[in-house]
Amino acid sequence: MEHVANNPADGAQAYNFAYLDEQTKRMIRRALLKAVAIPGYQVPFAGREMPMPYGWGTGGVQVTAAVIGPNDTLKVIDQGADDTTNAVSIRQFFAKTANVATTEKTAEASIIQTRHRIPEKELREDQVLVYQVPIPEPLRFLEPRETETRKMHALEEYGLMHVKLYEDIARHGHIATTYAYPVMVDDRYVMDPSPTPKFDNPKMNDMAALQLFGAGREKRIYALPPYTKVKSLDFEDHPFDVQTWEDECGMCGARDSYLDEVILDDKGNRMFVCSDTDYCTERQESGHRGPQHHDQPLGSSQSGKAAE
Amino acid sequence: MTVQPQTTELLPGFEHAAFDSNAVFRVLLDAMSRPGRIYELPLEMASPDGLNATITATLLAMADMDTTIWLSPSCAGKAATDHLKFHCGCPISTDVKQADFAVARIDDDLSFITDLSVGNAEYPDQSATLIIMVDDIANAPSMTLKGPGIKDTHHLEIKNLPESFHAWRAENHHMFPCGVDVIFASPTKIAALSRTTKVEVN
Repeated sequence: MEHVANNPADGAQAYNFAYLDEQTKRMIRRALLKAVAIPGYQVPFAGREMPMPYGWGTGGVQVTAAVIGPNDTLKVIDQGADDTTNAVSIRQFFAKTANVATTEKTAEASIIQTRHRIPEKELREDQVLVYQVPIPEPLRFLEPRETETRKMHALEEYGLMHVKLYEDIARHGHIATTYAYPVMVDDRYVMDPSPTPKFDNPKMNDMAALQLFGAGREKRIYALPPYTKVKSLDFEDHPFDVQTWEDECGMCGARDSYLDEVILDDKGNRMFVCSDTDYCTERQESGHRGPQHHDQPLGSSQSGKAAE
Repeated sequence: MTVQPQTTELLPGFEHAAFDSNAVFRVLLDAMSRPGRIYELPLEMASPDGLNATITATLLAMADMDTTIWLSPSCAGKAATDHLKFHCGCPISTDVKQADFAVARIDDDLSFITDLSVGNAEYPDQSATLIIMVDDIANAPSMTLKGPGIKDTHHLEIKNLPESFHAWRAENHHMFPCGVDVIFASPTKIAALSRTTKVEVN
């Protein structure tokens, strides 16, 4: 039998628009309105089983499904990349069930669903950033009981989090948390920014775009309205700072973006490359070249830096 | 003998349930994320006596059997309650304390607003949303708004907003994270005041 499910024009007819039924979408939409009204507060919602396993972005997918309309253009990234399994499958999911346009270009997207990165390109007011969140509760590893963490948020009792950061300093001489770095939202709620590198934390502050967070397994939604104060927790004598690299991107030569280290062989050779594939591609298209770009003549620079 | 249908006067709801409710929700989401900014109702909507098109669209997009609606006496005619019961299937209560969505006209007696649920410290989301039917919403400096969602300041003008509303709003803002979110609905426009919004009355 001819299999037509890959044709977005007629493959999705067995489902409601964007997969979820209307009542589920209403429930999620009500949670979203509360979430933007109480920035950083985790709103419980009746998360549904999705046709993908927990940990693959079921929370983000449900938020996107509730928000997306027929005129939206969707971009999905996983660790900054548009071409990884998770990103491709979620993009195809919405292309199939909602028949929406998809893109890999940050500037062309109206909704960007992300796992673990914020795009390097500054987002605009007409864009929505949807985060996939594994564990929404920033206090969870300090206090396993939900009843207690609820109370701690209610009473603004965040001493324990500062103790944790202080213990980092006592042990390592600096705050060793490098991802899922806790933030204070509008001077009230401590929030987990999802496992984005702390490099991305400053982008959350005062962002022009609406930021929505969905945790599918934990069934929580939270949000940051545009232009909301988001401050990474720190101490006066140990102020927050972000990762820096001595290297540049091997492909586009960027020095201002988040770099992934790629091991090239078993001799200690490695390169660094932008984690945001769209940012890197755009820079390469406008002529920027890093030392390991295939355009570069061999030997013009050290191709693959030995790590001593 | 055939049973006479009792819903001959019933007005249509959304033309396309998924697309229309999404369009209305997106406007509400934008309005709540950017308090004080004024948005157009994105579609035409038939509204029963007692409600306007924007409120009708808002309730059809957001309310269902899980949400209790309270209508002020001037809104709660048979036409409006029938319409909402048919299209949303939502319980309609006369007890304002039960309301998830409370609907009133701006010239109603607004003294009920102090009875609206504000949630509690652990679950501040379990609060009511107040929808006020107004004649017009304007971008004029009678109120200056600050807070999350607002870059510097937003201006908002709602004619005939009583002094008691502003007093209640100020108190409501201080209860954060508890509190009631307000949606203003003119026949064609929507603007919201989130509980985080600081309102200065000029």
